[in-house]
Amino acid sequence: MNSKTLVYILKRIGLAILTVWVVITVTFFVMHAVPGGPFMSEKAVSPAAQAALEAKYGLDKPLIEQYFTYLKDIVTKFDFGPSLKQRGRQVIDVIRDGMRTSVKLGVIAAAGAAAAGIPLGAVAALRRNKLIDKVIMVITTAFVSMPSFIMGSLLLVLFAIRWALLPANGSTAQGLILPIITLALYPMAYITRLTRSSMLDVLGQDYIRTAKAKGVSGVKIIFGHALKNSLIPVITYFGPMLAYIVTGSLVVEQIFAVPGIGRAFVSSITNRDYPMVMGTTIILAVLIVVMNLVSDILYKVVDPRINLD
Amino acid sequence: MKKILALVLALAMVFALAACGSTQAPAATAAPAAENSSAAPAEAPAEAGPSSIAVCLASEPDTLDPALNSAVDGATMLVHLFSGLAKWAEDANGALVIVPDAAEELVEGVENEDGTVTYTYTLRDGLKWSDGQPVTAADFAFAWQRAASVELAADYGYMFEVIDGYEDIWADEPPEDAQLNVKAIDDKTLEVTLANAVAYWNELLAFPTYFPVREDVVADEGWATDPSTYVGNGAYVMTGWDHNSLITLEKNPDYVDADEILMDKIECYLSDDANNQLSNFKNGTWQLIDDVPTNEIPALKVDYPDEFTVVGQIGTYYVCWNVNEDILPASSGLTGVEAEAARAEIRNAIGLLFDRNYIVEEIGQAGQVPASSFVAMGMTNPDGSQFYETAGHNDGFVGYYNVSEDAFEDNFTQALEVLKKYYDYDETTGQISGFPTMTYLYNTSEGHKAIGEYLQSALAGVGITMNLENQEWNTFLNTRKQGDYSIARNGWLADYNDPICFLDMWTTASGNNDVQFGKGAHKDLAMYNLDLTDLGYEVKVENGTWADTYDVLIKTIKSCTDNEVRYELMHRAEDLLMSTGCICPLYFYTDIYMLDKNVDGFFSNPLGYKYFMYCTIG
Repeated sequence: MNSKTLVYILKRIGLAILTVWVVITVTFFVMHAVPGGPFMSEKAVSPAAQAALEAKYGLDKPLIEQYFTYLKDIVTKFDFGPSLKQRGRQVIDVIRDGMRTSVKLGVIAAAGAAAAGIPLGAVAALRRNKLIDKVIMVITTAFVSMPSFIMGSLLLVLFAIRWALLPANGSTAQGLILPIITLALYPMAYITRLTRSSMLDVLGQDYIRTAKAKGVSGVKIIFGHALKNSLIPVITYFGPMLAYIVTGSLVVEQIFAVPGIGRAFVSSITNRDYPMVMGTTIILAVLIVVMNLVSDILYKVVDPRINLD
Repeated sequence: MKKILALVLALAMVFALAACGSTQAPAATAAPAAENSSAAPAEAPAEAGPSSIAVCLASEPDTLDPALNSAVDGATMLVHLFSGLAKWAEDANGALVIVPDAAEELVEGVENEDGTVTYTYTLRDGLKWSDGQPVTAADFAFAWQRAASVELAADYGYMFEVIDGYEDIWADEPPEDAQLNVKAIDDKTLEVTLANAVAYWNELLAFPTYFPVREDVVADEGWATDPSTYVGNGAYVMTGWDHNSLITLEKNPDYVDADEILMDKIECYLSDDANNQLSNFKNGTWQLIDDVPTNEIPALKVDYPDEFTVVGQIGTYYVCWNVNEDILPASSGLTGVEAEAARAEIRNAIGLLFDRNYIVEEIGQAGQVPASSFVAMGMTNPDGSQFYETAGHNDGFVGYYNVSEDAFEDNFTQALEVLKKYYDYDETTGQISGFPTMTYLYNTSEGHKAIGEYLQSALAGVGITMNLENQEWNTFLNTRKQGDYSIARNGWLADYNDPICFLDMWTTASGNNDVQFGKGAHKDLAMYNLDLTDLGYEVKVENGTWADTYDVLIKTIKSCTDNEVRYELMHRAEDLLMSTGCICPLYFYTDIYMLDKNVDGFFSNPLGYKYFMYCTIG
C-alpha cells in the first residue's frame, strides 16, 4: 500500500466522520421542530407533572445547550442517554437488543443471497440465451421488482397460514426463516444479475481467449480466471447491501413481528422519544457510512485501475 | 497480496456486523422460542407437561413498573405479577366483583371530625415477594408515596388525589414534609386517610398504580426492565423478557393463593401489527389476540363466530368542537354571549344530523352502541343502574337526543329548522349557505377516516363543506391540545368506574380540555347558570363564566361525601357540558378480541384488563 492510498483512506474516514456529524445535527434540530413531545398522550399529564419530567430529562434547557450536552456525552462517554418512553431503559440497550436480531437477520440473508446468487449468475452467463438463462432471468426480474411487503405477505399467507409450516412471528428461531427469505430474495436476484453481466464481460476478455487458445481446461478457466475476476463488482456491492438489509428491514420486521432495530426506530419517532431517535439514527448512519467506506476501499484494493481521486 | 487483503476486509466487514450484535449469547432467548413454535401447529396436547397459554396484547409495553404504567396491556400483565389490597374476580354467578387480595378484608372507612375518612387494613399472613422476602405494610405505604411523587411524575400519579395530602405534594410551593396520609402502623397494618369518602375507593385499590413495590428493589431505576431484577408479589413471576418479542410469566409457587391458580405459564408475545396477530391466531400459535384488522371484522364474524368476541368497554367516541371557532355566517352580526348561545344551538343541531346507527353498523361493525350522552355506558349510578340511562332527563328516550333508528328523520328536520334560523336556506336544493368551511381533524387511521368521510357527507347534505385532514398521532394530540382546529375526532376511555373521570377533564385548567372551555374568548363569556341550593349548597350563579360554573361544580363534586347528591351533581355537570354542543358523542366503545374456543375460565374487566390465571385449555 503506497502513501497515496493511505491519504485517500484517511480522507475518506474524515469525510465519513463529517457525514455522521451532519446527520446528528440535522436530525437533532429537525426532531425538535416536529410538533408534539415525548410526554404527550391521549390522557394528558398535569402541567406540573410535565414540567417535572422535562426537568428530569433536561428538556427544559435551551435547545442549543441540549445539543452540545448531547454531542459531548456521545463523544466523550459514548452515552446515548435514557429512553424517555420505555422508562428505566438505556437507549444503547434497546439498540443492542434490536441490532442483535437485525444483524443476525441481515448477515444470514446477505450470505444466503451471495451463496445462491453467484452460482445462479455464473450458470446464466455460461448458458447465455439458453433456456436455463432465460428462466433465471425471468425469476430474478420478478424478485427484483417485487417489493418486500408483497413478497413477505405472500410467504406469510402460504407458509404460515395455508400450510402452517412456519410460525408467523419472528420471536422464535423458526420464525426468522420467512423474514430471512423475504430479505434475501431481492439482493439474491440482484447479485445473480450482477454476476451474470460481469461474467459475460470477463468471458469476452482477451486473456480468457488466450487461455482457451493455450488449451486450458474449461473448469480451470471458469473457476481460475473468469469467476474470480467477475466477482469484483459483487464484492463491492456486498457492503452497501449488508447495510441496506440491516437498516431497510423495517417493513419485513413489521410483517413478521421481528424484534429488530427497524421497529424500534419507527416507534421512537412516533413516540417522540428524542434520545432513542438520535441513538437509532446515529447507529444506522454509522453503519451505512462504514459499509460504504469499506466498500470503496475494497474497490480500490481489488481494482488498481480505479483513479484515487 | 491484494486479493488476500480484499478477502480480509470483506471478512472484517461481516464480523464487524456480527460482533456488534452478539455481545450477549442469544441462546437464552432462542430456547423458549424453539420450544413454543414446535408445539405451535399441533392441536394443543395440553395433558403433556405444565399448561401454557400464548397471547398477544400489544407491542412492547412502555414500562412494567406498576407506578408508571398507564396502558391496558401493561395493566393486564401487572395484575398477574402483583397483588394489591384488592383485585377483580368473578363471583359464583360470573359477575365481576372487587374482592380482597393482599388485605384480609376491604374495611369500611371511619369518618374523622374534619370530614376525612380513615381506612385501616390488615395484611394477610404469608404474603411474600417473589424473592422470598415478606410483604409488609411499609411496602404499600412506600409504593403509594412514590407513585404520587413529583420525582416520579407518573402519568397516573393523580390516581392518588383522593388521598389526604396529595394536593400539598403538587401545590405550587409544596410544604417541606408534603406527603400522602398513608402509614404503616406495623408490618401488617396499613392506615390511609382519604380527603373525603369516594365511591370507587375499593376499585382504586385494585388498580395497578396502587400495587406495592419494595424500596430496595426500585432503587435501581432499570429494575422493571429485566426479569433478573423484577420482583413482584403476585400469582406469577416474570421469567423472561425478550424485548420487543416475548414476556414470559410463570406461576409463582410462593403466592399465597397459588393452589387456586390453574394456568402454569403465560407467554405474552409483543406485536402491534393487527395482521400479524391475526396470522398467528389463525395458525393456532396464539390463543388470544387483542387486536384485529378493521377490514377483516365482517369476515371474522362469519368464519370465527365462537372466537370473535365483543365486550363492553367504558369509553366514548366523539367529535369535539373548538369552542372558540366561529361558525356563524358573516352576516349574523351577533357578538359575545349572544354569538356563543347561537353557536351552541347550531353545534347541538349539527350533532343531530349524524346517523349514529349507520356509523356503528356500517363503519364500526364491532357491536358499538350509538351514544346520546358523553359519560359512557358501563358507568353506574349508586343504585346500580346505568348512568347514561338517567342522563338527559328526557321522556321517551335515553340521553340528550334520541338515537333510535326511527328518530333520525325527526332529528334531521329539527336540526334543519335551527340551521334555517341562522343561515340562508334554499328550498329547492334543501341546502343552507353561508356556513364557513371547516376542517375535520383526525389521527391517521382507516377507521377514523371512514367515520370522517361519513360526517363529511352528512354535512354536505345540508350544504356545509367540511374538509378532512389527518395527522400523525403525536402531532394530532398536540394540535388538538393547543386548540389549533375547528372540529376534531376524539375519544375517552375510563380509568375507573366513576363518571367523574369523564367530567373533570373539561375544567378550564385540565390538560385534556381540548375544547378550550374557559380559554381565549370563551374565558370572559358570562352566560352559564348554576344553582345548587336545592341540594343544600350555597351556590347560585346566574350568567357566570365557565370557571364560575363548571369548574365550581366539579370542585363541589370532588368534595361531596353524600353519594346520592354527588351523582346528581355529576348529572348536572354533564347537562351543562352537553348544553354547549361542543361535545358530540357518536358511540360507546367496545373491545374486540379473538379467543381460542378451547380456552375456559377467561374473563376481562370493564377497564379491559384480561385475566388468564384461571384459564384451562380443553
